[in-house]
Amino acid sequence: MDLSKYATLFLAESREHLKACNSSLLEWEKEPAGVEPVDRLFRAIHTIKGMAATMGYSAVAQLSHGIENLLAGLRKGRLEGSPAVFQLLFRAIDTLGKSVEAAAAGAEEPPDEALLAELEREANPAAGGPAAAPEAPTPTRRISDAPRSRPIQVTIRPGAVMRGARAALVLRRAETLGAVNTVRPALAELERDDFDGRFSFRLQTRSSDLEITAALRAVGDVETVEIVEPAAAGGDSQPGANRQIRVDLRRLDLLMKQVGELVVAKNRLGVLAMESRNPVLMEVSERVNRLVSSMQGEVLASRMTPVGEVFERFPRLVRDLSRELGKQIRFDTEGDEIELDRSILDEIGEPLVHLIRNAADHGLESAADRTAAGKPGEGRILISAARERNTVAIRVTDDGRGIDRDRILAKARREGMAPETDTLTDDLLVRVLARPGFSTARQVSGVSGRGVGVDVAMSRVRALGGTLEVRSELGRGTTFLIRVPLTLAIVRALLTEAGGERYAVPLAYVAETIDFDRAMVTALRDREALVVRDEVIPTVHLRDLIAARAGSRSNRRPTVILEVGERRAALVVDALVGQQDIVVEPFDAPRGLPSFVGGATILADGAPALILDAAALL
Amino acid sequence: MTHTVLVCDDAIFMRTMISDILSQAGFEVVGEAESGLQAVEKYRELKPDLVTMDIVMPDMGGIEAVREICKSDPEAKILMCSAMGQQALVVEAIQAGAKDFVVKPFQPSRVLEAVQRVLA
Repeated sequence: MDLSKYATLFLAESREHLKACNSSLLEWEKEPAGVEPVDRLFRAIHTIKGMAATMGYSAVAQLSHGIENLLAGLRKGRLEGSPAVFQLLFRAIDTLGKSVEAAAAGAEEPPDEALLAELEREANPAAGGPAAAPEAPTPTRRISDAPRSRPIQVTIRPGAVMRGARAALVLRRAETLGAVNTVRPALAELERDDFDGRFSFRLQTRSSDLEITAALRAVGDVETVEIVEPAAAGGDSQPGANRQIRVDLRRLDLLMKQVGELVVAKNRLGVLAMESRNPVLMEVSERVNRLVSSMQGEVLASRMTPVGEVFERFPRLVRDLSRELGKQIRFDTEGDEIELDRSILDEIGEPLVHLIRNAADHGLESAADRTAAGKPGEGRILISAARERNTVAIRVTDDGRGIDRDRILAKARREGMAPETDTLTDDLLVRVLARPGFSTARQVSGVSGRGVGVDVAMSRVRALGGTLEVRSELGRGTTFLIRVPLTLAIVRALLTEAGGERYAVPLAYVAETIDFDRAMVTALRDREALVVRDEVIPTVHLRDLIAARAGSRSNRRPTVILEVGERRAALVVDALVGQQDIVVEPFDAPRGLPSFVGGATILADGAPALILDAAALL
Repeated sequence: MTHTVLVCDDAIFMRTMISDILSQAGFEVVGEAESGLQAVEKYRELKPDLVTMDIVMPDMGGIEAVREICKSDPEAKILMCSAMGQQALVVEAIQAGAKDFVVKPFQPSRVLEAVQRVLA
């Protein structure tokens, strides 16, 4: 049998198991008495071993066998989890990860004999013969013979007594055919009196669908047995019983791109239909519009991924940092379930790594300093995600020393990039920190080293149409806030006009639109500002930014209130054109392009327009 | 061939009623037990084709008896007899190995249906 087509699947699954290995190992290290993590670890390694053996990846199989061997001893309590053992396991799992990647890429190398020997030594400290090992890699269970997992939905006859007990009988009967799992609702729920008699489960079996149906119906009081996906059957009462397939992200990217082009074409069609005043054409256009919108929604939804997938790798990072730096660090995550477009999620990992490194290295003090300052010796880093309007806000917070603004300001002055103000506001602070190369010269250690990575984080986040903010309090800690749009590629935008050109403002950053009125003008630190419901908002005239001459400046002009986090600005334009879904085109910014331009798009009438970067206008 | 039955219930009334229903349908009631302990002993002794088992009985309840019987004979065909409101106990009995259940008050037709299913 040609196994090569399973290589991708092997890789994807192994990666998942390796991630689980890392998190289980961390958990176990924290609490060496725990049984759960070591069991999970054991199972994950065991699965990798089995898959590798099936694929004929002998190096992966041998290494996982070695790890499994050691784990078996630890699990039975024959061996003890010392720091040295944990260190070895971390190393072995890292090596296993590399080995898995190499094998799946078709470049498998011989196993690391030294590591295998080390694992063997740890597993058998008595230095006798190899102890009772778990079964050696047993290759090749033929995949075609493997039992299939069948999704089954059963309805108990409505009038039947004790429908829950009847359901339990059905499950018992199913167990005679194979392994039952994912029972929804859970058995405990089935026992409740208000159980409506509908339940679903998965059955891993070699039996045919016909055999399954016959066996389950024979239980009695069974009204229907369906072997279908709960979603397809419209079963909404079975949360979690969803079936998934793996899709290469490139396919989704391609699909997204095509939907993007479809959106442009749809918008164009809409304009033409309007102009034609042909009712039939307008109706067709409206229908296409609805279909494309719903398709767009589905494609976007299929790309949404919980941020936890990225957060997952940070505990390990923090653990390593904490060892490297000799600091005790408690690391927590919140909002792991918040979803983001896959492509944004992929991009956001690196900026977060920079910010976490910063927090651990420069933000948190040494245990001695902390104790002296009356804080707990263990420093804390929290990474949290939250949905805020059409954006996702991810905060990296530490309870460390905070940023010393005076020193940053002094240093900024010395380097000739001093802001004119005496105090460094949070806004200015992040801009100074994010100046490329600001603190790469690290003569002043500690606080001033904080800029390392902030510029990288800033440019990555800006490239995603996001923003980076900082809040810091001396002695109390620092929070970096990354705010990114939920999705890339297609955004809803407000179209504005200035100097005869159209500019798109992503709706995610539009708080409201008002009319610019001379009577509302005031001054805020030498800048023009508007008073809107007692709030003073600095103005930005788009005409001035683009040095427009065409068109005329009327007294009453529409104004867009931009909002990024808590910061606001009033963008004064010539006219509002309307709202539109725009497709953000990949954009290589020509030299000299002003910073307030964040991208470009093609509008419904086929004309190009620039997309304004709201954060840069504030 | 007639099927043999062991009827287990601590109430004479229930034992009599079940025995009557089954006898009239052509089954041979070979024994009765009034406690879980007795049920286990008689099962070993009589090896009946079918057992009807009350859930709540003195000296080892019905569920415990099911567990004991199935330990020595996993193929044992046991029908639980339960009162209303004992669903959780019935589920427990099923997990212990009982093959079906009927709920009191008994309708002869329901009991016979269940018996047929168990013996099928």
